[in-house]
Amino acid sequence: MKFRSQRVAYWFFASALALLVLQIVYGFIMGFARVGLDGLHEWIPFNTARAVHTNLLVVWLLCGFMGSAYFIIPEEANRELAWPRLAYVQLISLLVVGVIAVGCYHFNIWEGRKFLEIPRPLDWLVVANVLLFIGNIGMTLWRGRQHTTTSMVLFMGLLFAALLYLPGMISVKNQTVDSFYRWWVVHLWVEGVWELIMGGILCYLLIKLTGVDREVVEKWLYLIVGLTFLSGILGTGHHYYYIGAPRYWLWVGGVFSALEPLAFLGMAMAALATARKGGRKHPNRIALTWSLGCAIMAFVGAGFLGMAHTLPQVNLYTHGTLVTAMHGHLAFWGAYAMIVLAMMAYSLPLMTGRRLWDTPMATWAFWTSNIGMVGMTGALAVAGITQVALERRLGLDFLVVQKEIEMHFVGLLLAAALFSTGIVMFIITFFRHGLPSDEALTPGVSGEPDEPLVAGL
Amino acid sequence: MGTCFYLAHASGLSYLPNQGIPMLSKSQARIFFLGGTGVFTAIFLALTWDSMRQIPKLTNDDKITPEVARGKELWEANNCMGCHTLFGEGAYYAPELTKVVERRGKPWIKLFIQDPQKMFPGERKMVKYNFDGRQIDDLIAFLEWCGEVDLQGFPPKPPLQNQLKPTATTSDLSGPPAPELFKTICQACHMVGGVGGVIGPALDEVHKRKSKEELLEWIADPQRLKPGSAMPQIDMTPEQREEIVTWLLGLSNTSPRPAGQLKPISQPEIYE
Repeated sequence: MKFRSQRVAYWFFASALALLVLQIVYGFIMGFARVGLDGLHEWIPFNTARAVHTNLLVVWLLCGFMGSAYFIIPEEANRELAWPRLAYVQLISLLVVGVIAVGCYHFNIWEGRKFLEIPRPLDWLVVANVLLFIGNIGMTLWRGRQHTTTSMVLFMGLLFAALLYLPGMISVKNQTVDSFYRWWVVHLWVEGVWELIMGGILCYLLIKLTGVDREVVEKWLYLIVGLTFLSGILGTGHHYYYIGAPRYWLWVGGVFSALEPLAFLGMAMAALATARKGGRKHPNRIALTWSLGCAIMAFVGAGFLGMAHTLPQVNLYTHGTLVTAMHGHLAFWGAYAMIVLAMMAYSLPLMTGRRLWDTPMATWAFWTSNIGMVGMTGALAVAGITQVALERRLGLDFLVVQKEIEMHFVGLLLAAALFSTGIVMFIITFFRHGLPSDEALTPGVSGEPDEPLVAGL
Repeated sequence: MGTCFYLAHASGLSYLPNQGIPMLSKSQARIFFLGGTGVFTAIFLALTWDSMRQIPKLTNDDKITPEVARGKELWEANNCMGCHTLFGEGAYYAPELTKVVERRGKPWIKLFIQDPQKMFPGERKMVKYNFDGRQIDDLIAFLEWCGEVDLQGFPPKPPLQNQLKPTATTSDLSGPPAPELFKTICQACHMVGGVGGVIGPALDEVHKRKSKEELLEWIADPQRLKPGSAMPQIDMTPEQREEIVTWLLGLSNTSPRPAGQLKPISQPEIYE
């Protein structure tokens, strides 16, 4: 760790993991409800559990992105964070808003639009919070002595994520118009600007971990984010097929969605190529494993599985079924959860001065969680495809079909247990690192492979 | 190739051979990113403008009455999308509701919302929201408006449905017409004359299995006679029960229709 203020990241990461645990708990509540064990229905009905599950995902990922930015930006800008104390205020206020929102869901208080469930007054607190964050990061860059491509892409991603939250706050009477602009937030986040954030973090990690020349990695970064926007912006059309928008979206959405995997493919190829060329000099192998794993799983989950059902002719039958949940799980895990975990695996030893990257538990955490998530995706895929065949193709009654696919949710729960085991091992490894320490400070050293990683090493 | 070199040098950055992607410099990659993003953002905004022009007609915007608007507010205030889908959007725990008014009819929906678990005893649960009569009307108005929106063919008619043969025997229904309550509520689950749901058994030949007294007792409180049955207790007056049972037993006088002339079961009406 080069600058003292980078340690803010630790607290963002620790909070992110706490929220992840809570997200998993609510996932289990839904899983059990689906196999008929819905004893919590009176207190936590399915719509509450689902909103908590998806909202916590967004909050912990944002928390992880913010932590990553607080770690990366000072180093890239080559100066301390502009206002370190403000970062703590911002973290606490983010958590408070999150807890209030989750509380509201348990008392049936909603804005109640898919993924944008948080009550409208709280929206303004989210905006204020994100402005604090953007201000802090932006001021650090502004005062900084260098402006790297990596830091600029990361900053632009975060800034546009904040701006794109605004169209989601519009209130209209027409359900179609409502949905149209809701996707500006949801789609243009996860298939647009979030990929900028992910690309920026991945780029940073590859530069640090492989030792490949910055110019080469950043050239890839431009190409990848270029492909992301080339396909992703008009790819929004795949959400406009069947909501009451004009018919040409079937063409526009279909063609550009088919191109969306290209960005992820480019990312996976770039990551693997740089890792091979760089010869993996860095001793933190587990961080590189998470980074490469992220690039590959993002391609499989977000790119390939996404494309598998964005073709309009296919989507006509899969739209609004569990096939979407199947794609959603592996996409968010691969593209966004794994990049945050990669960043944690990389930065923790640098913040705390403890090298736990070779422990068996760190390795097991990676494989167990990934195999578990692939298993969950498989269970949802079988359930989803069966639902499409029986309900959408044969026309059987909804509840009859749900009974028919109940067994696959037992499989889902088993895979989820494996996944959770992996996450628990990751968290144990996280806390075994201890707290950030001044002894880990290495002024003038950036942690790049050819330099000592920790003072005195 | 020459152009590549030219652009790379003109932008002041040197061309780096054998590093990553040949033929492309970092500044060209940046131009690709900024240019592509600019062009496709512009196209996207133009299409958005055109969509906003067309959507009022596609969605019958002029039919959004205060009731529909209030229904939408109610829909959101209770996060109905947390279980149901509408226009295929939402969660996948409860049925798609885009065409629900056409599929179930208003009387059934009204009865259902008042106490969802009563309608599907022992099945997957829905929260009992205690809406008042006006709120239920608003919600139905909203769902009815949703059902009329031009969704480009969604939800699709199940293409393989004609491959299924109804297993129920059928009556030709040449006798007196079914009571209104039977058509709006009972037929959601039971089939008669090849029309109706498939949750409960077909009732064409119920006269062979049950007496009038047995049927009256059963309908009055199914859970008492057979705990855990999927048959809900529907609030009816003794006269209404009498009317339905008498009509059902009257089906015995009609002759069965030859199998080749089956009317399609109710589902096509649902999806069309």
